Amino acid sequence: MRRSTIRPRRRPESLVEIYEVFRRSGHKEPFEHCGSVTAPDARMATVMAKECFTRRGEGRHLWVIRRADIHSWSDDSLPDPAADKTYRFAHAYRDVIKKRALARSRAQADAR
Amino acid sequence: MSDILAAILIALADDELIIGHRHSEWTGFAPHMEEDVAFSSIAQDEIGHASAYYSLASTMVGQTPDQLAFGREPGEYHNAVLCERPNGDWAYTLARHWLYDNADALRLEALERSSRPELALLAAKIRREERWHSLHAELWVKRVAEGSVEGRGKLLHALAEAFAEVRGLFEPFDNEERAIAQGWLTVPSPVLGARFVETTTAALDDLGLPVEIEPGAITTELIASSSGDLIATDEESASITPAGGGLGGRYGRHSDDFKALWAAMTATYKIEPEATW
Amino acid sequence: MTYEERWTGFEAHIDGGGMVEAGDWMPDEYRAGVLKFIEMHANSEIMGAIPEREQIPGAPSLKRKMSLTAKVQDEVGHAQLLYRVAEDLGKSRDAMYWDLVSGKSKFHNVFHYPTFHWGDAAVIGWLIDGAALVTQASLLESSYAPYTRVLKRICAEEQLHLRHGEDITLELASGTDRQRAMLQDALNRWWLPIIHFFGPKSNVDKDLLLRWRVKTRTNEDLRAEFLDRYVPKVLELGFELPTPVPFKDAASGRWVVNDEDIDWAPLDAIKKNQGPETARRLGLRRRSYEDHRWVREALNDQTSQAA
Repeated sequence: MRRSTIRPRRRPESLVEIYEVFRRSGHKEPFEHCGSVTAPDARMATVMAKECFTRRGEGRHLWVIRRADIHSWSDDSLPDPAADKTYRFAHAYRDVIKKRALARSRAQADAR
Repeated sequence: MSDILAAILIALADDELIIGHRHSEWTGFAPHMEEDVAFSSIAQDEIGHASAYYSLASTMVGQTPDQLAFGREPGEYHNAVLCERPNGDWAYTLARHWLYDNADALRLEALERSSRPELALLAAKIRREERWHSLHAELWVKRVAEGSVEGRGKLLHALAEAFAEVRGLFEPFDNEERAIAQGWLTVPSPVLGARFVETTTAALDDLGLPVEIEPGAITTELIASSSGDLIATDEESASITPAGGGLGGRYGRHSDDFKALWAAMTATYKIEPEATW
Repeated sequence: MTYEERWTGFEAHIDGGGMVEAGDWMPDEYRAGVLKFIEMHANSEIMGAIPEREQIPGAPSLKRKMSLTAKVQDEVGHAQLLYRVAEDLGKSRDAMYWDLVSGKSKFHNVFHYPTFHWGDAAVIGWLIDGAALVTQASLLESSYAPYTRVLKRICAEEQLHLRHGEDITLELASGTDRQRAMLQDALNRWWLPIIHFFGPKSNVDKDLLLRWRVKTRTNEDLRAEFLDRYVPKVLELGFELPTPVPFKDAASGRWVVNDEDIDWAPLDAIKKNQGPETARRLGLRRRSYEDHRWVREALNDQTSQAA
């Protein structure tokens, strides 16, 4: 098998920039990524993004951000954590039903 | 009387239809993909505006909007000659887009005060969309004006070319004085024309662009005689040739460019004018 | 990790249904293969815009004038989305566009043919978009994640286009004799190119894109689905389809065509970029690209005050 000879260029070599586009419709959901445009500056990017990503009314609020200004991170850790972290989730507290039943019957017994 | 108003509405619609048709010729072919998408929305908006004006007129003349848009002879269209010119290159398209939308903004501002409520309402709606068109045009013109020597040169040349015919947008409508008397139109076309010269000169100065406009250049040829005929130059009324300097459109006098446009635009419709498509 | 170990891990990841993102390690063949595939898709959207836009000036009603313009606008939007995805694999849009207009890279066969009248708008909008949708729906399961994300939007818009194309078709089908004749004429010319669109039988053993789940179904499988879905819809309107004439297979009950009836010669010519409209359309785009270099420079200019 050949060694890799292709060096992928992540940024095209021109002054035109990639702007990532986020949009929000209404007020219940946060801004959501919807794509990107190539434009020379933020104002042009906004005009382009408005037509490319909201012409069917999919959102009334837009952010455009230069890709270069976005910092990213991905979780490479194994799905198997070092310690039990279920304390962060509601399903770890299913026993409340049983505990309430127990506590209620104890209180009724005490009252007699 | 409503014939007069209908004719004005149809002329306004014709401007929008014909320039919308020209703008739509860039869809799928514009010089930059994102811009292609953006400019196509502008084209669709203009055709939509035409449709709205035709709809208003259709209640008065007993013809459907499609019949008005596609069913007339070339001499019956009353758009300004500027609108029918071919797109040329992107520089001419930008120049014309900028000039047309500046003119339209002034026209709509006046129409919003029309004594006819349905026209005032429509003008207000259209004006909201046109603000976006003006922003788009300004962004581009500014960018090209402040950019490379080549682009700036092309833009200057295109502005001069388009400016030579922009007066046609302020050619008085047929029976305009009676429309003004009724309050359907609130500002006479030559007055709008003068305002246009003022605001456009200022905008060109801001951009540092030396397009020469003589004072009164737009308004001197727009003085209509009492019969409503233009004091124009040489043509016979039977031919459809423009009066020169972009004039004649409001009276059905168009260029060969219009003939070609009209032929393409109406070809399918004319196969079966009574059919639905 | 050696390259071989990475490769094995990658194949296991794919076989396990895993997805690939732009920044992930991938074999050169995967990167090159996916890039070429998406590039061809993007090329097809931007070249497809040409035959489609030919019918905009003559659109026979205000509504159709706007809706057809919007449809072609969407196709340009699809090209924009797809070139962006391809760019992130390491080839600039400029380079891809130049390869296209100079004839080096390819685009789908159907867009190498001329259009003549409104009947073409109907058939392109309905049957060709229908064919594209069958293919694109299968690509929603592709292993290359950025591609699947833009395909979600593309497929949703193509569904709309399909509806729109069917709307135009049905008006013609239930219209005057002249309108019906326009539709039949268009069907006569487009049927064989549509059959070709799916390509010849896939070589499952050699097709790396199938192996790595970039493509998820064979060409003949996709064509079979298209035929069974759309042939009855054409025939029930009282129209005919030319060679290869479809028929109902007795055993399966599905609409099929005979492989022997398919003349592949026109597709072979198109693969060499020698279709009826290839040179003219590429020439149009190339000249426009060269003539408008100043526009790209204006967009590249960072010294403008416009920001």
